[in-house]
Amino acid sequence: MREDHFIVIGNGPAGSQAAFTLKEKAPEARVTIVTKEREGCCHSHLLPGFLAGSISEKKVFAISLDHYTKSGIKLRTGQSVVDVNPQRKEILLEHKETISYSGLIIAVGGRPYIPEPLLAYREHLCTLKTFQDTGTWRQLLPAADSILIMGGDLTSLAVTKSLLALKKKIYFMLTGEAFWPLRFDKALQEEVSGKLTKRGVTVLAGNKLVGIEPVRSGSCRVYVDGQKIKVDMIGAFFGLVPDIGFLRRSGLQLDRGVLVDEYLCSSHEGICAAGDCAQIYHPEIKDYWVSIGTKNARSLGKIAAVNLAGGRKKTRVDRERIFDIQGVKVNTSWWMEF
Amino acid sequence: MPGVDLTIEICGMSGDGTIAAGTLLNEALSGAGFSIIGFDSYPAEIRGFGRCVTRSRFGTSRMLALSDHTHVLISLDDQQAISRISMLGKNAKVLFDNKPAGTVQEGMSIAAHTAPDADLYGMPFTDLASEAAGTTRGKNLAALGCFTGLAGIDPRFFYTVIEKKFRAKGETVLNANLNSFNAGLTYAHTHFEDAPLVITAPAPEKKKVQRIMLSGNAAIARGALDAGLALYFGYPITPATPIMEYLAKTLPQKGGKVVQMEDEISSIGAVLGSFYAGKRAMTATSGPGLALMAEMISLGVMSETPAVIVDAQRGGPSTGLPTKTEQSDLHAAVFGGPGDSPRIVIAPTDVAECYQFTLKSFELAEKYQTPVIVLTDFFLDNRVENVAAADISGKKRVDGNIYPPKKEQGRYQRYLVTPSGISPRALPGSEGYIYPATGLEHTEAGLPDYSEPVHMQMNAKRHTKIRQALADLPPPKEFSQKGPLDLGVIAWGSSFGAALEAVLKARKKGLAVGALKVISLFPYHEEQIRQFMSRCRRVLIPELNFQGQLANLIGHLHHGDVVRFNRTTGTPLLPSEILLKIQELLQKDNT
Ligand SMILES: Cc1cc2nc3c(=O)[nH]c(=O)nc-3n(C[C@H](O)[C@H](O)[C@H](O)COP(=O)(O)OP(=O)(O)OC[C@H]3O[C@@H](n4cnc5c(N)ncnc54)[C@H](O)[C@@H]3O)c2cc1C
Repeated sequence: MREDHFIVIGNGPAGSQAAFTLKEKAPEARVTIVTKEREGCCHSHLLPGFLAGSISEKKVFAISLDHYTKSGIKLRTGQSVVDVNPQRKEILLEHKETISYSGLIIAVGGRPYIPEPLLAYREHLCTLKTFQDTGTWRQLLPAADSILIMGGDLTSLAVTKSLLALKKKIYFMLTGEAFWPLRFDKALQEEVSGKLTKRGVTVLAGNKLVGIEPVRSGSCRVYVDGQKIKVDMIGAFFGLVPDIGFLRRSGLQLDRGVLVDEYLCSSHEGICAAGDCAQIYHPEIKDYWVSIGTKNARSLGKIAAVNLAGGRKKTRVDRERIFDIQGVKVNTSWWMEF
Repeated sequence: MPGVDLTIEICGMSGDGTIAAGTLLNEALSGAGFSIIGFDSYPAEIRGFGRCVTRSRFGTSRMLALSDHTHVLISLDDQQAISRISMLGKNAKVLFDNKPAGTVQEGMSIAAHTAPDADLYGMPFTDLASEAAGTTRGKNLAALGCFTGLAGIDPRFFYTVIEKKFRAKGETVLNANLNSFNAGLTYAHTHFEDAPLVITAPAPEKKKVQRIMLSGNAAIARGALDAGLALYFGYPITPATPIMEYLAKTLPQKGGKVVQMEDEISSIGAVLGSFYAGKRAMTATSGPGLALMAEMISLGVMSETPAVIVDAQRGGPSTGLPTKTEQSDLHAAVFGGPGDSPRIVIAPTDVAECYQFTLKSFELAEKYQTPVIVLTDFFLDNRVENVAAADISGKKRVDGNIYPPKKEQGRYQRYLVTPSGISPRALPGSEGYIYPATGLEHTEAGLPDYSEPVHMQMNAKRHTKIRQALADLPPPKEFSQKGPLDLGVIAWGSSFGAALEAVLKARKKGLAVGALKVISLFPYHEEQIRQFMSRCRRVLIPELNFQGQLANLIGHLHHGDVVRFNRTTGTPLLPSEILLKIQELLQKDNT
């Protein structure tokens, strides 16, 4: 009999948890993680704290690389999957190597979303998703006195908190998508706006960006409606979109994310999805939902692995924690007190 | 700013231009002001069908030895380079071609084998070359361009050496190579903006030192040329052959001749004949060839005829390990051959010394009328260093011949016993100075005589003469502090660099350790060695042979403990393993 080979794409909280669970449930099987990140499992939710200096690099990468090796998991870092072929049960890597699998878990998370009108200013916008992103922040921060935070998803609040701890002057632009993935309503906007102002943040509520003009290296003049502000850095936080472009030709059913049932199984046998990239069917609401957050990702990774290894475990989510954003149901476990 | 100390490997299949890329890399880094030690390797079988690896360690301080680990691996052929992964250090960078001709199965790419901490940089070397120059042949140049871009090194250092290498092949070839290089450079700049591997070149030297990239073998050949070599006789053998190849190109231009003989016996015979007739000659061989020469070398000893023999050691005994390095001919060089046949054996420790001591060996051979063996090894012969031009050229040749005075004409005694043991030597054809020269024991006049007093007297003469040579031979060189030492490390030949680096590192850790470089292996400077040893509580002798041949030779000079550190894996000794041994010994002493 040929040995089982489980492949996990992605080494975030969902992917790493999935791999360790697979090794636990099927110790004889080969388990390979392929991740485009050069480093180990990055806990993105700790990145704002890392920028503020309150979290060490070691903590951001909570799982040591040795631990994978010792657990018998083959970790391929710095390698991107560019295609999945469910018929041949193969994945294709960017460097043109194919790998066969008997079971596959897609846990590729999300990538920062930049709204179309802002793409023209992309080079001036700093995002924060991967550890590599912190490089730009750490390079620019020492010389940056004032920072504009645009968009305003949940991560932006965490980043703002860190930047305030670094005694930076913060401008915050609350737009229509400000609380993505939370429900946007006036009450929430006012609450957040009030809290931000109390902490010394200049809130530019409801304003529309007209243009960005670089002044000198790093600094920008930002035109918002009638006013003009000069900032040394701009952070863009418009939420994360599932990073599933590479699956377009695979034949897997996709929408915003990879469509999976409540067992996290996709439209194709032997392929599951977990974490931020999965769009999960919820029989109670008779709709698909997206899960956001480290804890969610981990628990989904575990469920996907258990099921791929022959188990039968359902995802569970409290109804009241599901929000409807732009037609997508979102569950978040990490709305924290700001 | 911390100094640079990095090792880069390029690995490919022959035909990939691996060695050419390594040479360009070394030259460019040398131009940028780094100190370099490089070592290429290829399999024993047929060179055209194997794996080629170039290994370069470069840094801001002088590089004395190879390093344990590779920091950057450039793969021109993943199937070959996979075997080099075990050499990678932590967080090594691996540059590889990420657009092979078709898809490959799991495990066929180097990416399948690297450890998770390695940093992979997939770049389409072949496509870049083919788009830039219309041929895939420049993929090695594209790879160099990619490396240069990643490392943030000024590309002008590479332009200079590419130009130098390809200019003679015409504009088309030169441009194709430059374009391939630039394509790689641009690719790295655009895809990896924040140069992940910043290598800062050292500040330019205050007084510009002209440096030349040279192998040990080339340095030996240059030393012989500057010594006024007239004739080279040899029979090809790894790792000595490049000396003959170098001389075949250069010696005829200087009016000399290179003759490939039918074997090693005839080679040494011809060398003796040339010197006998007053012409400087040399041969180079390896262990098996030295064994064949043993009888003829003793003829040189008995007839007091000069000869210069390079023994480029490789793994032995017998045919042994032709492309592996070893220091196991020391006994054969010093003692090999019938009878009591003292000769001079001298072992350079780096490329510059290969030049200096080969040059010197001609003078010594003439002055002491004896065969001189220059003992090198595969690692020293094939490694390249960027040595200061002043250290490997322009040295004056010294005529070592001592001719008989006029008053002896007609009553010339070729083997006249003198206090120094040296008797003036007349060249054949000089009227009034005719003498028989033979391998038989002889009287002062050269006539065969086996009587007791003659043999005793002549043996003593030959040994006295060789002992006298100590005055002209490079004395041992000490690298340590004054006063008593907990440990003295004594090393020779190609292993000395590793030993010195280990000792310097140990001293930085506060250990009372010193190093002694022994160059002259026979005769050896007993007094200086004894003095050094007397200051050491213990002596460690690391060498690449099984028995501890230097330890056998000089170990008796120490009253205390002489620890041997021997390895015969065919690869050069590394500073780290010697350092580990030093620490282990000193720790034991303290517990
Ligand atoms: C700044 C910030 C702050 C946050 N704060 C919090 C918080 O306070 N609390 C909280 O619960 N959550 C927080 N989150 C969200 C949380 O980090 C994510 O929900 C969680 O990381 C999702 O885990 P995941 O494993 O699904 O995906 P990810 O963590 O995004 O991991 C995806 C992995 O897939 C890999 N990958 C992607 N595409 C490919 C491909 N094609 N080939 C190979 N590998 C690929 C990536 O390299 C990565 O390793 C924050 C996120 C950010 C960015």
